Amino acid sequence: MFHIALKGILGRKARLILTSLAVILGTSFLAGTSVFSDTLNRTFDNLFSDVFKNVDAYVRSTQVIEAGFGLEERQRITADIVSLVEKVPGVQDASPDIQAFARIIGKDGKPLGSDGQGPPTFGSIGEEFTGALWSTAEGKWPVGPTEVAIDEASAKAGKYIIGDTVKVVAQSGSREFTLVGIASYGDVRSPGGATFALFDSVTASEFLTKPGYIDAILVSGDGSISDTKLSEAIQAALPSTAKTETLTGAQITAETQDQIGSALDFFGILLKTFSFIALGVGCFVIYNVFSISAAQRQRENALLRAIGASRKQITRAMLIEAIVVGLFGSIVGLIAGIGLSVSLSALLRAVNIDIPSGGLVVSQNTVTSTVIIGLIVTVLSAILPARRAGKVPPLAAMRATALEIAEPGRKRLYAGLLSIALGIAIIVAVVAGASNNYLGIGILFVFIGTIVLGPIIARPVALFLGRPAARFRGITGVMARQNSARNPKRTSRTASPVLIGVALVAAVTALAASIKGQIDDVFTAQFKGDYAISTDVRGFGGLSPSLAVDLNELPQVEKATGFGFLTVKIDGKGQYVTTIDPATVDGVFDIGLINAKYSDLTTDSIFLSESYSLRKNLPMESTVTITLGDATERELTVRGLYEFDELAGNFVVNRAMIAKSSVVNFDVGVYIVAKAGIPDGEVQAALDKAVKKYGQGELLTKQEYINKQSGQVNQLLGLIYGLLLLSIIIAFVGIIITLLLSVFERQRELGLLRAVGMTRSQVRTTVRWESVITSLLGAVLGIILGIGLGWIIVFTLKDQGLTSFKLPIIPTIVILVMSFIVGLFAAIYPAWRATRVNILDALNTN
Amino acid sequence: MTPQTTTIAASAISATKVYGSGDDAVYALRDVSVDFYEGQFTAIMGPSGSGKSTLMHCIAGLDELSSGSAIIDGTDLSTLKDKELTELRREKIGFVFQSYNLVPTLTANENIRLPLMLGNNKGDEVWIQKVIDTVHLQDRLTHRPSELSGGQQQRVAVARALASQPRIIFADEPTGNLDSITGAEILTFMRKAVDDLGQTIVMVTHDPVAAAYADRIIFLADGHVVNEMTEPTADRVLDLMKSIGH
Ligand SMILES: Nc1ncnc2c1ncn2[C@@H]1O[C@H](COP(=O)(O)OP(=O)(O)OP(=O)(O)O)[C@@H](O)[C@H]1O
Ligand SMILES: [Mg+2]
Repeated sequence: MFHIALKGILGRKARLILTSLAVILGTSFLAGTSVFSDTLNRTFDNLFSDVFKNVDAYVRSTQVIEAGFGLEERQRITADIVSLVEKVPGVQDASPDIQAFARIIGKDGKPLGSDGQGPPTFGSIGEEFTGALWSTAEGKWPVGPTEVAIDEASAKAGKYIIGDTVKVVAQSGSREFTLVGIASYGDVRSPGGATFALFDSVTASEFLTKPGYIDAILVSGDGSISDTKLSEAIQAALPSTAKTETLTGAQITAETQDQIGSALDFFGILLKTFSFIALGVGCFVIYNVFSISAAQRQRENALLRAIGASRKQITRAMLIEAIVVGLFGSIVGLIAGIGLSVSLSALLRAVNIDIPSGGLVVSQNTVTSTVIIGLIVTVLSAILPARRAGKVPPLAAMRATALEIAEPGRKRLYAGLLSIALGIAIIVAVVAGASNNYLGIGILFVFIGTIVLGPIIARPVALFLGRPAARFRGITGVMARQNSARNPKRTSRTASPVLIGVALVAAVTALAASIKGQIDDVFTAQFKGDYAISTDVRGFGGLSPSLAVDLNELPQVEKATGFGFLTVKIDGKGQYVTTIDPATVDGVFDIGLINAKYSDLTTDSIFLSESYSLRKNLPMESTVTITLGDATERELTVRGLYEFDELAGNFVVNRAMIAKSSVVNFDVGVYIVAKAGIPDGEVQAALDKAVKKYGQGELLTKQEYINKQSGQVNQLLGLIYGLLLLSIIIAFVGIIITLLLSVFERQRELGLLRAVGMTRSQVRTTVRWESVITSLLGAVLGIILGIGLGWIIVFTLKDQGLTSFKLPIIPTIVILVMSFIVGLFAAIYPAWRATRVNILDALNTN
Repeated sequence: MTPQTTTIAASAISATKVYGSGDDAVYALRDVSVDFYEGQFTAIMGPSGSGKSTLMHCIAGLDELSSGSAIIDGTDLSTLKDKELTELRREKIGFVFQSYNLVPTLTANENIRLPLMLGNNKGDEVWIQKVIDTVHLQDRLTHRPSELSGGQQQRVAVARALASQPRIIFADEPTGNLDSITGAEILTFMRKAVDDLGQTIVMVTHDPVAAAYADRIIFLADGHVVNEMTEPTADRVLDLMKSIGH
């Protein structure tokens, strides 16, 4: 039987290639994303193992605030500890370390490096230190408050040479320095694409943080004692009031790698999730191809049965074919995947992330898991068709046509309806208050039900969708419509991958539209200014607080108010509090104060959101204790409650509250109301000039600002679309494969049509419209499911403050048009093949 | 029955068809010249492999001659491009094959009108109704081929061939798959199309009884025209077949 199976495979190379294609695509995405994450992981591992290569001990503060999303904010230590560390026996050299926000401004006035999402922009210390990785490529290390060194990549990007004046923006504002050195980091021009401005230690702490404060101390030992001993000795020498801890070089390296690792893990999981979705979609295509080929070989199999092959033997022959296809497809997929990851890395390089090249990481794990998963998926997808092939009655050998017998049964109808009903019941339960965790199961049941019902729905829906084609395309349209409905099982199996892809796209789109709508509403209600200055820098740096002060001085400005966020501990938990300036906020930024005035917000008071106050039973005049980043505590009295918590969160404090701490605070935005009666142009020019002085922040009109806020959703949306593209590509290839197999199957019919006068272009039209109808079938059902899904998700997010569902009308139309186009494109090759059918051969085949 | 006119509907001039080359070359047709007259029912007979189908395919524009020419309605087919050939088949030629004549997804009615619809041509409705009446298909028009018997399917095929009023109809063993009664029905009908409607028909057959419905029989053997007979009867055909060693 193995012999027969093998002959069957080799005898039909075209079918082998078509079947493998789905396996190849699915596994290549899997392998590609896995190689890519591994490579990225190792790259960063290497990068960070180098950072502390020559560091034997590392001193830092014990004070940390968890800020959510796995981020943490560690406090600073005082610079005077350095001299204590230097005196510890075994220490050769100790150097203060600062990694703070600083932005180098290019000669054209634009900041170097990318905003927000890109690699960070650092300010740091550049001094002679035995443990340092930085070395001067040109010039010398900076000394004194007017000198700076910058990394080689930034120097190149900004076209700076030694002696130039370089403007740098940091927490304390912007300042001009003389460039005295260009530094390189190990053997790369800049680590991980970040930009660096380097100062001497006194200037760094004064300009980048607060005078007298540093982030950590890097220590190199003289080799007389082990790193562990050295660390212990240092820790013992430091007063407990300094609140420090001392790690060995190996410990800090491992910790940093772990942190980066978990950030990358998240990315890796995201990639893997979507490549598994793509593989699932691929299963449908594999299943479909095996079903079609089983149907096309019905007579052949029946003949084998008639001459004595057992059911099992027929089934086994098909499974052997599946194993060969699975192995072949997975191996080719693995190789293709490695190629794919190369292009992903090239993409990273194109966006200027200069990662030290260490070659691709193709782990044993990637190889085995790709091949095994590919194999399993293929064989699983082939089991049903193989069993069905075994069931073919010997009598079928005598039948004239090899058409799939495709009358969907009653069982299917009941199973499908049951699954949908079950799914809806679960969803209703969730909507009525059951745990949101069950939502996924409910949705899965609805999807499964829809796909089970597919063959039943396919015929009427395809006939309905095909109506315009039949109407306006004459006989070719009529035939396309009939062809798309002639084998509902096949059509629905072909449309299912499209359905899944489109449903996910539609759901994500609906969710995004709702979030955007919400953002629009919130900003329109709460932001009362005419202009806003915004920055993409979050968490790490931002706008200098003095910007708002400067703006208030302008004659064109009625009022300008800045606000920022601070990470603090409340009730032992990391929380964000919004910092505002009570003197200027009124009428510019509306938080919906209830029974209070902004002037009530003195430095020893706090405003709470109404909901938080109710939830935590914290009425007016009660006390809230907050722990600032430097471990100092503040007792604040609740002096007001407010209604709008979407932007302000649960806590609002006076920005002056932190004045006596070591904590620094940036503004993340400044809102401005212009003086009445002054022309827009004049106001804008004046504001622009003030902003330019800082080299940081972007001036936006009210509408631009609101659009920008809601536009941020688009970036995430873009990423998810990109990942879903994998599934869509597989669905697309699925249509091509099915059409090709159908064209092979309909050779005789095509020959007959050509004989009685169908032109090649009419043949093409027929195939093309069949393809479009199939694609639209998947898209229409997918949109219905997807929008329903989106609505449910929005509904369950009500607690998270998402209140209104917005129907994404234009995106829906775009999806339909795209499906139409996808249908047209998928038909190109099969249609061409159809026109190449040799009339005589077709008529002579029996 | 001798033809009243001698207008030529289609002809082959020194038609030669070779498959393969060198030692393996198979001559399906060797220098065949033959005319088919308008309004005449011509049968082509000959042993299996004698080139009957090949001759028919080449004259009908489904295949190309190796040398010589095939002419339909005064047009040399070798001068036509694929698109023109397709249009010629659609407008001037009707086909009836031995089996698999119909498009399974279309109804009998749509199958009958298929060549017309492909040409965006409404056709002559009176004529089409007359054809449908003659083949007794009025109550079967909305059925699909899978719902029709073999004989009914062949009748739909003949109706399709007639519906567009082609210059010539080619039929390759149209009754080969039918029982003798159903076969006779189809042949009678074709005969009537020639007599009453003035249709030109060329039919390939192995069956002397079927051939006897024709006005004229051309005998092929080994790629040559070896004999010709007018006003045949089944007996005369049988005799001749024996004499040429069929
Ligand atoms: N595609 C081809 N390649 C090679 N030889 C061919 C091809 N088609 C036909 N032939 C050969 O040409 C010769 C004539 O074939 P043709 O089909 O015309 O015979 P026929 O008279 O119609 O026979 P039958 O009565 O069996 O249908 C045969 O010897 C056949 O083997
Ligand atoms: Mg023949």
